[in-house]
Amino acid sequence: MDDSKTTLVTRRELLQIMLGAGISVGAAVVPAEPLSPIIRGYFERLEPEGTIGRDSRDQPHWGMVIDLGKCIGCEYCVYACQATNDVPDDMRWNVHLVDETPTGDIFHMTRPCLHCQNAPCVKVCPVQATYVRDDGLVIMDYDRCIGCRYCQAACPYDARVFNWDSRGDETLPYVPEWGAPEVERRARGVVEKCTFCIHRIDEAAERGLTPGIDTDVTPACVNVCPVEARYFGDLNDPSSPVAQIISSTPTLRLRNDLGTEASVYYIPPRGLAI
Amino acid sequence: MISTVRDFVRNSPAYSAWVLLLAAMFGVGVYSVIYVLINGLAPTSLSDNLVWGLWIAVDLSAIGLGAGAFTLSAAVYLLGMKRYESIARAAVLIGLLGYTAAMIALFVDIGRPDRFYHPLIYWNVHSVLWEITICVVFYSMVLMMEVIPIVIESTALKRNRFLHWLAGFLHRLMPIAALFGMGLSLLHQSSLGATYGVLTARPVWYSPSAPVLFILNAVASGISLTLIVTLITSSFMKRRLVPGDIINNIAKLAGIASLAYLYLKLWSWAATNYYSHSPALERDLELLRENTPYGFTFWWFEVLLGALVPAVIFLWPRTRRNRYALILAGVLSVMGLIVYRWNMTLSGFTVGLDWSPGVAELFPVNTYSPSLVEWGVVVGIVGYWLLAWSLAARFLRLYPHAKDEPESSAAEAVETHAADSGEARPAQA
Repeated sequence: MDDSKTTLVTRRELLQIMLGAGISVGAAVVPAEPLSPIIRGYFERLEPEGTIGRDSRDQPHWGMVIDLGKCIGCEYCVYACQATNDVPDDMRWNVHLVDETPTGDIFHMTRPCLHCQNAPCVKVCPVQATYVRDDGLVIMDYDRCIGCRYCQAACPYDARVFNWDSRGDETLPYVPEWGAPEVERRARGVVEKCTFCIHRIDEAAERGLTPGIDTDVTPACVNVCPVEARYFGDLNDPSSPVAQIISSTPTLRLRNDLGTEASVYYIPPRGLAI
Repeated sequence: MISTVRDFVRNSPAYSAWVLLLAAMFGVGVYSVIYVLINGLAPTSLSDNLVWGLWIAVDLSAIGLGAGAFTLSAAVYLLGMKRYESIARAAVLIGLLGYTAAMIALFVDIGRPDRFYHPLIYWNVHSVLWEITICVVFYSMVLMMEVIPIVIESTALKRNRFLHWLAGFLHRLMPIAALFGMGLSLLHQSSLGATYGVLTARPVWYSPSAPVLFILNAVASGISLTLIVTLITSSFMKRRLVPGDIINNIAKLAGIASLAYLYLKLWSWAATNYYSHSPALERDLELLRENTPYGFTFWWFEVLLGALVPAVIFLWPRTRRNRYALILAGVLSVMGLIVYRWNMTLSGFTVGLDWSPGVAELFPVNTYSPSLVEWGVVVGIVGYWLLAWSLAARFLRLYPHAKDEPESSAAEAVETHAADSGEARPAQA
């Protein structure tokens, strides 16, 4: 064929080059894989987490129960969260809404982050800045987040907020009435969310305390509730308050149809079918 | 140096004024980008309910419209259709301009531009956005590889021995570049649709057809853009840049891609909106119909004017031979892609998520109209694109088979068609 003279690389040569390239890339990647800290970090950190069916029962799985029948809509949990986590009014991690049952009765709906075990936000994050910890908490790495906001698009519960602006030195309106900030303020340009007061939970082991029972290591919203509508504890421990309620009372999880495996259970108000 | 510029301006005043206008647009963009880098995203109209807007729509459009590069490179270097090199170089440059434009838009859009490199270090292989980022980075390198030899060949740079060798070396690698380019493009052009398609929480987005729709649409409109840019540049330069039969065949290809896109789009609509019933999707579409021009723009701009009309013009021989009809079809096709990307981005955010278990209507329709600084960045991106193209068309050898004769009438196009195929035959035999 006349063509072969003018073709710089023929198709057969191209295939040979491709095969060669494929083999050499494979040969380079396979032994390098365990050595690369990046790839190793990926295997260690992502694979066991963020998937359905974490069945390690020896680990705690922190969860919450919110009794919608008890909630009176005082918004104390909202303010306590803002004060403890240094959250301004327009970025609330824990929100309150007035909803209605099909029978026409109103009820008070509050929503922290649901800490899904199969979290849509975790799956979509391009840099693993958010992930499910072994104890079930969905947490943010503020130093890694690039601020693309794909997690906000993916979260079915609007549980994530973005730092559109940098936060100056404005004093919080709820300090000292509602407590003092216990965590660092987040920088402009990253996404943030409810942490179940992770800084308290992480102190529990060394202080020998139990989250959900000892108030020092329990989320602020749970402690402050005047009608005890919020319970916190280890879903894997049958004797914890949350596990006992879930085993004895009908509960629902928000948008359970999406299979997010949320760690927050709601006791529905009267008139709301499960 | 100054006198050379002065002579140039004196000899081509219209071109110089055009370049100056584009430079001014680019300047507006530079100012806006710096403004955003200093002030963050607070000056945009985005909010926690509507986190992506104009910039993402522009970014998706720019990448989609760059799809002509991989399609035509594959035709030339993989399928051995070497005569298409007469337009493939232009397609590759258009691709590179699109991808760089998209990267500018993304750089501004992320909250922490200083961490733009994080996806390269911290991998989340479960995220389509990660896959897109990696593909776009690598594919931009492929496009650079394809464009560098053109730049070296057409300028004084070729006198440098190393650069001359480099151009030849890169040219030899073209088939590999085309192969990688095609693989990467097939991945990320589809994943851009999947970015929305995989989000189960938002019924308007959640759709397995979105990735395929995105790539078919990108191929159709990407080729269309290459075609119209070539035809318009050709009439400004009063030169026939690409042989008539090549234009003819490429228009046909764009028409076929448009039809494929249209077919899948209609079935996607019929399967999810018409023949089935999903309460959540119905609620969202109802809200969109009541509050936005979504339904109207979908049927008129995406389907009818954006796909059907261009397909007819591209495939009907009579209209295909008319240069103005071709330009019209190309413009409509490009417009169709942009409206699709805009509607896709906005529709899912416009209707709020309903996560509360009660029946009250708590989640309002979110509205969005881009702020001044958002438009400023887009003006800059368009200016950048046109400026780079205008300079390249003037100073680079983008069209290796260009001839110094204006391509004016349809009859001539047919004649050249015959003549070209006549010429081509002995060469191939």
